[in-house]
Amino acid sequence: MILGPLLTLCLVLAVAPALPGLATRTRAFLTGRRGAPVLQLYRDLAKLFQKNVVYSRTTTPVFRIAPVVVIATVVVAATLLPLDGHAALLSFRGDLVAFTGLLGLGRFALVLAGLDTGSSFEGMGASREVTVSAFAEPALFLCLTVLVLATGELSLAGMLGEPLAAVWPGAAPSLVLAAAALFMLALAETSRVPVDDPATHLELTMIHEVIVLDHSGPELAMILLGNAVKLGLFGALVVGVLVPLGRLPAWLAPVVLVAGLGVVAVGVGIVESCMARLRMNRVPQFLVAASALAVFGVILLLR
Amino acid sequence: MSVLLLAVALILAAGASAVLLRGTPRLADRLYIVLMLAGAVTGLSQAVVVLRGGPDISAGLPGTLPGGAWDFGLDPLSAWFLLPVLGVGACAGVFGIGYLGSERGHRSVAANHALFALLLVGLTGVVTAQAVVPFLASWEVMALCAYLLVMFEHEQAEVRRAGLIYIVLTHLSTLALIGMFAALSANATGRSFTELGLANQSPGTARTVALGLALVGFGIKAGAVPLHFWLPGAHAAAPSHVSAVLSGVMLKVGIYGLVRVLFLVGGAPAWFGWTLFGLGLLSGVLGVLWALAQHELKRLLAYHSVENIGIILLGLGVGVLGVAYGEPGVALLGFTGALLHTLNHALFKGLLFLGAGAVLRATGTRMIDQLGGLGRELPWTAVAFGVGSVAIVGLPPLNGFVSEWTVFQGLLAAGASRESLRYAVVGAAGLGLIGALALACFTKLDGTLFLGRLRSATARPHPVRDPGPIMLGPMLTLAGLCVGIGLLPVVVLRPARQIAVGLVTGLDGRDLAEAAWIADAARVTVLGVGLLAVIAGLLLLRRRLPASGAARLAPTWGCAAAASTSRMQYTASSYAAPLLAAFGPLAGVHVSRTADSFHSSAADPVQDGVVLPAWRMLGLTSVLLRGMQGGRLRWYLLSVIFTLVVLLFYLTNAGRTP
Repeated sequence: MILGPLLTLCLVLAVAPALPGLATRTRAFLTGRRGAPVLQLYRDLAKLFQKNVVYSRTTTPVFRIAPVVVIATVVVAATLLPLDGHAALLSFRGDLVAFTGLLGLGRFALVLAGLDTGSSFEGMGASREVTVSAFAEPALFLCLTVLVLATGELSLAGMLGEPLAAVWPGAAPSLVLAAAALFMLALAETSRVPVDDPATHLELTMIHEVIVLDHSGPELAMILLGNAVKLGLFGALVVGVLVPLGRLPAWLAPVVLVAGLGVVAVGVGIVESCMARLRMNRVPQFLVAASALAVFGVILLLR
Repeated sequence: MSVLLLAVALILAAGASAVLLRGTPRLADRLYIVLMLAGAVTGLSQAVVVLRGGPDISAGLPGTLPGGAWDFGLDPLSAWFLLPVLGVGACAGVFGIGYLGSERGHRSVAANHALFALLLVGLTGVVTAQAVVPFLASWEVMALCAYLLVMFEHEQAEVRRAGLIYIVLTHLSTLALIGMFAALSANATGRSFTELGLANQSPGTARTVALGLALVGFGIKAGAVPLHFWLPGAHAAAPSHVSAVLSGVMLKVGIYGLVRVLFLVGGAPAWFGWTLFGLGLLSGVLGVLWALAQHELKRLLAYHSVENIGIILLGLGVGVLGVAYGEPGVALLGFTGALLHTLNHALFKGLLFLGAGAVLRATGTRMIDQLGGLGRELPWTAVAFGVGSVAIVGLPPLNGFVSEWTVFQGLLAAGASRESLRYAVVGAAGLGLIGALALACFTKLDGTLFLGRLRSATARPHPVRDPGPIMLGPMLTLAGLCVGIGLLPVVVLRPARQIAVGLVTGLDGRDLAEAAWIADAARVTVLGVGLLAVIAGLLLLRRRLPASGAARLAPTWGCAAAASTSRMQYTASSYAAPLLAAFGPLAGVHVSRTADSFHSSAADPVQDGVVLPAWRMLGLTSVLLRGMQGGRLRWYLLSVIFTLVVLLFYLTNAGRTP
């Protein structure tokens, strides 16, 4: 019983680093360039894990523990998701609060690590990160509320599998709206265009990249990996809402999931190729728009 | 003699020892700590017995006292609120010995300790009183002791002002409570709570009035927006260990009162639930937003109490609504969440205020923007404060998560119901916003206080270090409790749920079954322990990487900008600026800037925007009445005659109508 979810989790963790690569490759293809290989992040990670580290003299142990917390929270949060639509490794009533809470703990640690360096650039990034998340969090809860209202279940494993497939015909408009809002949140939470630009080279315009300026070697690798897995988790949420994975045979569901993650990554790339990064004070409006979509979904269900 | 009275006597003895033995401070301090801890442990043991399903305890005061029998006692609800009173109270009391040690000689330290002990006794009285008169008497003891403790540094004008606002508001609250009890006892045969409850089981005008007055009276005490404005000033002005009790415990007395009234009247109508729900949402969002705007450590923490009271009220509101709309399962979650958050907030807010006290003692300033890099000098304080921060933000695996999780479940379960109760689901998004803003606020606080480098222009005159064991012990105890409850929530979930069961009518077998709750709590334990295990495992693995040995130290990477100074770091103000700007005038930030200076300050939109202007208007308009006091006899006679004529008209008409 536990083996299926565990294998799916390992599969998602394994393919996650390919997702940012796929997005970047799509963006390059659509803008007429060749771009870095899809598997570039694997090579980067392998290299970084062997490298030496440089620590800032200002830093405290917080700086060294934070990357570990980032990756641990993302992995533990993944155990709460029914990735293959059948079961999650750990599931209880209200576990969606634990899901968002774990992501919040990772953010707490990352932001403190940025402030630990005493660099004004990293302080700036930390400040922007919490600003973005303050608008993303209510939107995420509204999306999850749509799922709760549609299925009447209080746990992620309960709502994302068979129950969701059963209510699809009646609640389709709300679920599509929630999936769209979740996709927008995925862009914000994993620092993609239009909220942040992973390809930028100017510190003043960065959010996520500028917090990790001082991280190097294995610590940097853990943060990059954590971010990739986070994209995978949000992608899995989008796929879980749109595709009735729970109705597929157990061997097919993981395959469909990985294919769906690929589609989400390509979607991220398409958005990146046809949109510019928003001005910093426009980012809250983008996230409020995501909230508005989810609110429409909620209203349709409360009617 | 009852054990409960023994506990109170021990705490009173602790206070007395501080005054009587003030000539020999070392002996007095030791005796105070021993007696205080003995009293707290004695009282807590009684509370634990009751919470574990033992019989209720009653302890009447002997002799004839005014206002009927002075009955005190412990039922599960009283026992639950006694936990923070004595637990956090004793920790803060011990901390206070160390905290005020350096004040000895130029301020009345002994009197402060004695008043602190009396405050704990007053609080104990409030949560254990079983009749109207002892309740109100304890309430006044508590309110007045708190006033005197707030005025400890009375040579500062700011402190006197905060004290004045506090004492006016607390008496408004007492006034409302007297009215509330009058309404409740309109049809009652006596003044004990049991008799009041029997007389008010059916809806009626008296009950409606009583519920409205309870909202005002207990709302002021709990610090719910818009009646919160006395709170930040008073809590910032008091000595830190007193702030810990005021913010962590005394606010909860307002919550206790609301829950007690709900017990007495056996369920409230839906309008009461929606009011609590609305007040909770308002207090939660505005409290954390205003906290984000603060530059002063203790005011910031005080505004967070407003936020947390909001979360508790959200839970209570969901509970009342669940009962009113006939959804007992939802009600159970709401009430349980509110009770849990009451205890948890007492623990982590007490901890944070004690931590603030340690920082204040070490550095001499409460202005966040002048501090920085304290983590290296005060490592234990930083760890304890960090635990408190993660807990208050409601992140796993600490205790704040447990209660917010329960409240969230209540909100989401409300949404899944078929009644109009389902609109309460908007509270989930609100609670999400509150959590994210709290995260912003506490990363700002931790980052600016303990990380980075010292921000003030002048270096400190002397090195700072962690306080001694008398101050560190209570902090680490509270931090340990935050971790313990977070990892093993079943310990507190069961008694809280048991109390909530008493508040909910119409429970069926499925709602009453405890097994599902315990199973969920066990899974939260698995989650927390699993998370810590993964973190520990990864840290061990990290050490085994080939690169681990040869870390190089270097200055912080300045992005090609050479020679950055510590003044160039992000400050608390700049960190919070984008968020506050996004919320606009709601945040109450005043910015003054010239070509070469920038200064932002936080004002309380309710106090500085509404209450004080209204007060000034009242003063100005009363000038118009001054003409009446001209000293001319004919004016006085005219006004007397005028009043008499109006009264005569009124009385004759009133006599005719029926």
